[in-house]
Amino acid sequence: MFDDVRNYLWLIPALPLLASALIALFGYSALRERSHWPCILGAGVSCVLSVLALIGVAGGADGGAVYYTWFQSGTVNVGFSLQADGLTAVMLVMVTFIGTLIAIYSAGYMRGAPGYPRYFAFVSLFLFSMTLLVLANNFILLYAAWEGVGLCSYLLIGFWYQRPAAAAAARKAFLVTRLGDIGLFLGILLLWKSFGHSLDYNEVFMAAARNPDPALLVPACLLLFLGAAGKSAQFPLHVWLPDAMEGPSPVSALIHAATMVTAGVYLVARCMPLFGLAPDAQLIVAIIGAFTALLAALIALTQTDLKRVLAYSTVSQLGFMFLALGAGTAQYGLAGLAVTAAIFHLFTHAFFKALLFLGAGSVMHAMGDVIDMRRFGGLRKVLPVTHWTFLCGAAALAGVPLLSGFWSKDEILAVAWDAGGQGAPHTGVYRLLFFSALVTAGLTAFYSARAYFMTFWGEERIPEEAYHHHVGDAASVACESEDEATPAASPTPHFESPGIMTWPLRILAVGAVGVGIVVVLPMGHFLEAHWIRQRFPQSLLPAESAHGHNILLMFVSGLVALAGIGLAYLFYVKKPALPGVLAKSAVRLYEASRNKFYLDELYAAFIVKPLSGLAQLLRVLDQYIVDGLVDLCGQIPSFFSFLFLRPVQNGLVQFYAILMALGVGGFLLSVLLR
Amino acid sequence: MNLDYRLALVLLLAVPAAAAIVCALLGRTRGHLIRWVALAATLVNVFLALYVALGFLGERNYSPVARTPFGMAVTFQPELVPGADPADIHRTTWKLIDFGRLGAIQFYIGLDGINVWLIVLTAVLLVPSVLISWNSITERVNEYYAWLLTLGAGMLGVFLAFDIILFYIFFELTLVPLFFLIGIWGGPERRYAARKFFIYTLAGSLLTFLGLLAVVVVCYHKPVDITAPELTFSIPDLVRAVNTHLMMNLPADRAFWSTFQFWVFLALFAGFAIKVPLVPVHTWLPLAHVEAPTAGSVLLAGVLLKLGTYGFLRLCLPLAPDASLQIGLPLIGVLSVIGIIYGAFCALAQSDIKKLVAYSSISHLGFCMLGMFAFNLAGLTGGLLQMINHGLSTGALFLLVGMLYDRYHTRQMADFGGMGAKLGALTFCMVFICLASVGLPGLNGFVGEALVFFGMFEVRPLYAVLGAAGIVLGAWYLLSMLKGVFFGPLKEPEQEGHPIKDLDSREVAAIAPIMALCLFLGVYPQPVIRSAQDDLRIVETLLQNRKPVLAANQTGDALAQEPRQAKEPTQ
Repeated sequence: MFDDVRNYLWLIPALPLLASALIALFGYSALRERSHWPCILGAGVSCVLSVLALIGVAGGADGGAVYYTWFQSGTVNVGFSLQADGLTAVMLVMVTFIGTLIAIYSAGYMRGAPGYPRYFAFVSLFLFSMTLLVLANNFILLYAAWEGVGLCSYLLIGFWYQRPAAAAAARKAFLVTRLGDIGLFLGILLLWKSFGHSLDYNEVFMAAARNPDPALLVPACLLLFLGAAGKSAQFPLHVWLPDAMEGPSPVSALIHAATMVTAGVYLVARCMPLFGLAPDAQLIVAIIGAFTALLAALIALTQTDLKRVLAYSTVSQLGFMFLALGAGTAQYGLAGLAVTAAIFHLFTHAFFKALLFLGAGSVMHAMGDVIDMRRFGGLRKVLPVTHWTFLCGAAALAGVPLLSGFWSKDEILAVAWDAGGQGAPHTGVYRLLFFSALVTAGLTAFYSARAYFMTFWGEERIPEEAYHHHVGDAASVACESEDEATPAASPTPHFESPGIMTWPLRILAVGAVGVGIVVVLPMGHFLEAHWIRQRFPQSLLPAESAHGHNILLMFVSGLVALAGIGLAYLFYVKKPALPGVLAKSAVRLYEASRNKFYLDELYAAFIVKPLSGLAQLLRVLDQYIVDGLVDLCGQIPSFFSFLFLRPVQNGLVQFYAILMALGVGGFLLSVLLR
Repeated sequence: MNLDYRLALVLLLAVPAAAAIVCALLGRTRGHLIRWVALAATLVNVFLALYVALGFLGERNYSPVARTPFGMAVTFQPELVPGADPADIHRTTWKLIDFGRLGAIQFYIGLDGINVWLIVLTAVLLVPSVLISWNSITERVNEYYAWLLTLGAGMLGVFLAFDIILFYIFFELTLVPLFFLIGIWGGPERRYAARKFFIYTLAGSLLTFLGLLAVVVVCYHKPVDITAPELTFSIPDLVRAVNTHLMMNLPADRAFWSTFQFWVFLALFAGFAIKVPLVPVHTWLPLAHVEAPTAGSVLLAGVLLKLGTYGFLRLCLPLAPDASLQIGLPLIGVLSVIGIIYGAFCALAQSDIKKLVAYSSISHLGFCMLGMFAFNLAGLTGGLLQMINHGLSTGALFLLVGMLYDRYHTRQMADFGGMGAKLGALTFCMVFICLASVGLPGLNGFVGEALVFFGMFEVRPLYAVLGAAGIVLGAWYLLSMLKGVFFGPLKEPEQEGHPIKDLDSREVAAIAPIMALCLFLGVYPQPVIRSAQDDLRIVETLLQNRKPVLAANQTGDALAQEPRQAKEPTQ
């Protein structure tokens, strides 16, 4: 059974699907508050199988299989075909591992929430779609899973559907990503038409390598990238992700930080054999990535909602990954290094960002759903576990040397630097992007330290809601003897989250700190041996395996990170008045950043409003002009009848029908008897 | 139980017709009995439809294209024809009106890959139509169910018919029951809506009838076999005759056939385009939908609109292939794209949920037409699947809107809010069906849409690209409806006191089978696709064979004209 990867590959998505079906069927009858069990078990077993698949792939047993024909007609053939190679195995392990931890955490976080079974059914469905997404071996199956994760994102953002903001955010997320999905779908159509009517990755890649026509590849790649930009929240389609924070925090951690939003990065990495052959498309990928990274980091500087800071940080980090991918061109065989850097950052980011969101969730849980950083502070003592785990995550995100974020960010900077080397196309642009990325790295360190200091340092402030919230909840954990009417009377109510939530935090914290240094070398070799060497066309492969680290660059980026943190320490711990002074002195810049550069307003004014107006216009046009003309035509006979056919128009439908039948019959006879 | 398939096929028409008569005769007072009779009849019909579908799958083990005699054009080869001719089991001997030696109008029905699933769809949708009317129709119950069942028989007849006159009779027969269903049991403007629906579609279909007759007459006057001229009304024979003439491509006849096809195309287009409906001849549809009782809307959207698309597929493409290629593709391609976008925008601007769904039909039928007019197997298959998919998902949407209306007697979106908290099961069904309708992979809409786009992208990428806008617009109006009506804080319309309950078992029985089919067709559509391939390949072959001929004729004409043009400068 376990000697061949193909035997159990299908189980990895199937188990979460089964879990989802079980919860959907029995969640409200038999399972109820035990609904998390199928979800956790499904995710956990999938995780074990994913690790087995990783080991199998490392042992050279990569392979795929077509399980059944989904649909086939004419030249379109879509099989339910899965495959495991190095990239898929890494993604699977990451998705299922983080998924399992978050499912466990959710069991504590969502306890007592109405719709508890619904939540776990959706999470399981998401894990099914996400694992299918990385396992798919053809573009249409990928697209199907792509839409599937989008659906789960929609359902989970709108989990608290009675909140207008959640309902609006869910719809926005679905529509904005769907806009990108059109690009993805058209890109698939173009690839299918241009490269031999095939939809299988390898066949498309091989056909493209045989005939790398930029006139086909560049538009196809840009269309695929449009899809990736939608899903991975890149400018100009990034606006849905910050709003998606209306969903429960574990959902933000799982879907909107660690897994689904990285699907775009996965897609571009997967299609590197195409992108690598289209340097013009790559340039755009890199520019969009670097620009998004910078833009989102600037916005993150001034946000006061802890989850929004993290959301913009996610947008920014995804931008880093796209910058890395965009640097991968045939020149110097950078394609391999580029995807390695991007996937490595994706991997480490998943750990520390999931940790940060879960930490934010833990803060929210304790603070009675308050997430505005201005309303709490100095929570170091109150939430000890949350505090130190959050610190690990923030430090990793900031790029503190030797933590996981440091290694992967450094690889990205190195690739961006190399892409600007002499003789490469667009040298100057890539150099510019490199410096922009370096600035962004400094901003990243600043805002992550800012979020940390604002939440956990300074004078201890706990919002009113925290006490109300803990009347029923924490009371059962810590102060059982206290009566419910006077929560404030309890001198030190227990705020820290229960163990079921803090243990996943601890595990992720270890990962955020250590995963970088442990996997930095093995992952590069693994991806190269079991994916890049096998799937990339010859022209994209480097002459020799090159994983040297640029020591100078590491030093510089480490310094930048520490400088950012130091500045934040100065601003938010030493001299808390300073930010206000600075905001006053650059009021326009501050306001622009705080208002997300007014992009939502711009879209509303220039896209949504005109289209809604057009819709209203067409409605009126349809009712009064198009239909009006029809009614006018309808008046013509009665006008004539008014003149001389009045008696025939007696208004009886039967009479008309007889006349029609007679007329038709007469016509028929006249034709036949001619 | 061993029921003869051919008999079952006749019963498929006879059962609803007989049940309609029984219902009518039972009188107005025995409402409960009438409902059960209607339900039993529709359930029997579902059984019969599935039974004949299985029979068809067992019968068909050859490729019709491969079995065509040399020198003849391919044509439809229906199976399980009642009264089959022993010499050729794809023909019938049953005559309706005999013209003696000349020929006969026949009772010629049968199954092939194109109609078999549409028949199943019709039979399946009749059951919820009966169930949804259970409590909401209390006046003149006997007449109501009689008309409903007549409508069912008429629609099944259209799909089953392989005689052109029989086809037309059934085609028009569907108008009368729906006219009464809308006119008697409809909303406040029911008389206007019913009259408009009737006259509008009848006006178009009379032109269609002229076109069909023209084909019959021309085939009689220009027999393929000159020694034995025969007046035939059989659709397969007419298709073969016309296309064999086209294959012969006699220079003397070329101009005639070209003009002839042009007019036939226009005549058929007139009726079918109104029925589909294509923009700009669609305005009867939203009105008819809004005024019709729920069951009427379900059948109107679910099946009746398919009569138009089915007409294009069964008659227009095979009988006028050159005209379809030359004027059909640009004309219908453009109208479909306009319909997709225009319908979606109009849907977005509606305040009445039912009207929103009605306009969404216009948008979705645009996808369907776009696929068929790609003329390749992928597109044709996609178009056919879209007919079935749209029937299921839009039928279900109307059912759900009807259920909401039954509770609150309003369909204005502004009156509702947060229904998810109050009506959990209904909300679940609505979200499910909306997702099917926006083409979410894993549910039925996606496969059809994908095939349509694949087919059209191959031929005219621009139409596919523009049509793709419908994907996002479709999500926009449906999700906005969900957000407004079912999500957000609870807001109930004013209603007179009686407690509002979630779906009862009757309503679940009406909607659940459709949802199951949506899921099945989304996950495993290949059996349906497979069974339709052979017959769609006939249509594809007829059209694709014409492409090189048309190109050659054109260059031939150009060559013939060139010397003349060359002379001009010298003069």
